[in-house]
Amino acid sequence: MTTWLQEQFRRYYARPRIHFPDRFPRREYALIPFGEQHMQRHLAVKTREDLQSLLERRVPAHIYYSSAYYETPDAPTMTEKGWMGADLIFDLDADHLPGAGGLSYPEMLAAVKQEMIKLLDFLQGDFGFGEADLAVYFSGGRGYHCHVTDARVQTLGSQERREIVDYITGRGLDTQSLLQERTVYRQGNITQTSLEMPLPDEPGWRGKISREIIRFFQSLLDAPEEEALQQLTQFEGIGPKTARTIYEGLTPQRIQRMRQGKFDQFPYIKKMAPHLIRRSAVELRGEPDEPVTADVKRLIRLPGSLHGKTGLRVEHVPLGDIDQFDPLVDAVVFDDSPVALTLKKGTAISMKNRSFDLQPGSHTVPAYLAALLVGRGLATVDS
Amino acid sequence: MDIYVLARYPFLSEAKEVVRRENVRTEEILHDPIYERARDIGRQRVTDALEEGVVGGYPVASETDALMNIFSYPIARMIVASVGHPYFRGRYALAEAKRAYEFLQGESRDFLLQVARELEVAVDDDLRLHFADYLRHAPTRSQRWKLVNMPLSQGWLSLDHRELARVLQNAIQHRLFEELRDMRPPSEISNVFREEVTAIRNTLQQREMREKAEMGEASVAKLPPCMRMLLAAIQTGANVPHVGRFTLVSFLNAIGMDTEEILGLFAASPDFDRERTRYQIEHITGKVSGTDYTPPSCASIKTWGLCPTDKMDAICRRVNHPLSYYRIKGRRRK
Repeated sequence: MTTWLQEQFRRYYARPRIHFPDRFPRREYALIPFGEQHMQRHLAVKTREDLQSLLERRVPAHIYYSSAYYETPDAPTMTEKGWMGADLIFDLDADHLPGAGGLSYPEMLAAVKQEMIKLLDFLQGDFGFGEADLAVYFSGGRGYHCHVTDARVQTLGSQERREIVDYITGRGLDTQSLLQERTVYRQGNITQTSLEMPLPDEPGWRGKISREIIRFFQSLLDAPEEEALQQLTQFEGIGPKTARTIYEGLTPQRIQRMRQGKFDQFPYIKKMAPHLIRRSAVELRGEPDEPVTADVKRLIRLPGSLHGKTGLRVEHVPLGDIDQFDPLVDAVVFDDSPVALTLKKGTAISMKNRSFDLQPGSHTVPAYLAALLVGRGLATVDS
Repeated sequence: MDIYVLARYPFLSEAKEVVRRENVRTEEILHDPIYERARDIGRQRVTDALEEGVVGGYPVASETDALMNIFSYPIARMIVASVGHPYFRGRYALAEAKRAYEFLQGESRDFLLQVARELEVAVDDDLRLHFADYLRHAPTRSQRWKLVNMPLSQGWLSLDHRELARVLQNAIQHRLFEELRDMRPPSEISNVFREEVTAIRNTLQQREMREKAEMGEASVAKLPPCMRMLLAAIQTGANVPHVGRFTLVSFLNAIGMDTEEILGLFAASPDFDRERTRYQIEHITGKVSGTDYTPPSCASIKTWGLCPTDKMDAICRRVNHPLSYYRIKGRRRK
């Protein structure tokens, strides 16, 4: 029995727009058919036509390929496959964002996109990856993927990849040496110390933290008093009184001194530093059960394929367009032909710049919205 | 290159070239009295690697001394290869690399660059290294060396002289280990160095036995932070994912706890279900499944997000595997 959604997928896969991974014949493919939970693994293709025909014949609800490339991609075990290397993959998902639970689907997607922009800053700035070796995709579901195909990282093992993840998430950062107390004057019992911070143009995390500290205090200085105080009291351990002391001591001269690496007398920064570090870092914590970036053999959604739970396409996001990219416009594949369905739960969403606010019950909606609702199990198509 | 310099770095291709140019047959090296000194130093290299963890300190007062030192290296390698023990190959490679590091710190920048080139570590004239090479060779397990604490910019990071020497130590170790792994020593070696090879094998075996004994009686006090955290989570009834249970149970099993003992630890959990838990434990310990799972390494534990990085202690930073932590902790308490 073919469902309505499956039929839509069948039409798409008759003429799909797939982004073929480089070395695509060396990759393992895996798919989940409609109506099944079980993943079929260890598939391989020799030509582009093979992959096209696989999609056309099987019409999968989900299709993945391996970040790794192998001697024998369709061998059943890792040893027999013969690992040759793997792209570096970053999987940013709403599930990994703290506090994403309360957000709507579009808000969630926007929050993840902000993390992706932060990640790209790390990858292009700190790691120096060129545009040719970086590709960003909307996952079709609740997140974004970034694929790094630089040959120098493809052969890195999992320990080494973990170091990259730690860099990006700020894990293991030596915060002690970032802010150092230095004795500037000592006579008898009198000791005067000064707190030193890194310069904004230093490489690595030192410069990053420095810029974040300066940016933060500059924004406090520029903000109305009320708002600045409110910002400050959000930090753990800073009450209204301390916030006022900090705010009143904040001057353009002080910020100028920060740019020169001088913090002077300012004990509060030690409490604030961990929070400012977290803001600069990317939230990339995988669930313990899930494979994370350090994995050298994970499966990733095939770019250009459709996500079975949304009907949205795994869409390429050009690096320069990421700010404007809107998955609920740009990753929409299906047209607006009317579909009659029964909605189980009230839903408010905007797609293709059209707002929908639907109560449970019978509706006729555009096919693209029907695919999202049916895929997420919120509605059934009337036959 | 000066022959005295080469004597410090007998693994460099130029030193190997010296051996080749002398044009002696393996037979001569193994039997000819001329090479007696080389054979002695070769034996010494191997024993020092085993006992001290670092080779070197052999007198080089003359050109002949230097040459004998250079010849001793291929002999030592043949002995190590015929011992045929992966752990010992690693230990020997490290011992040679450590010696090289001592010397490298005092060499010129150009010399370091030359060694780097031979080891295929891409360093530019300003001692800048691409992060991928850095990750392959730097001792990133210690916090100071973690990439996150390095001045990374546009993919490159600057090292000082000593740091580069240290990175090269690891590159040398990796190179020597790979060479040893692929080496097929002539069978004649086991005859000439029969005593040494047997003695080393016995020592290694004894060490293994001692390590097993050191594990001693299973004790919760010796658990690494990750296992303590998992155990506390289970005992307080917190939601622990499957990999977490798997990690803990396979670990407790490996330190010698049986199902009853593990059940005893888990019984504190508020929603403790003895039979269900027993089944789960026996599945992991191999009673049900027939597979006795080995506990995961620190790398896997980190990948799964189960390593409480804020609770890591000095021992954690030294080890790759929670069992090593347990062993070291056991040793300290005696």
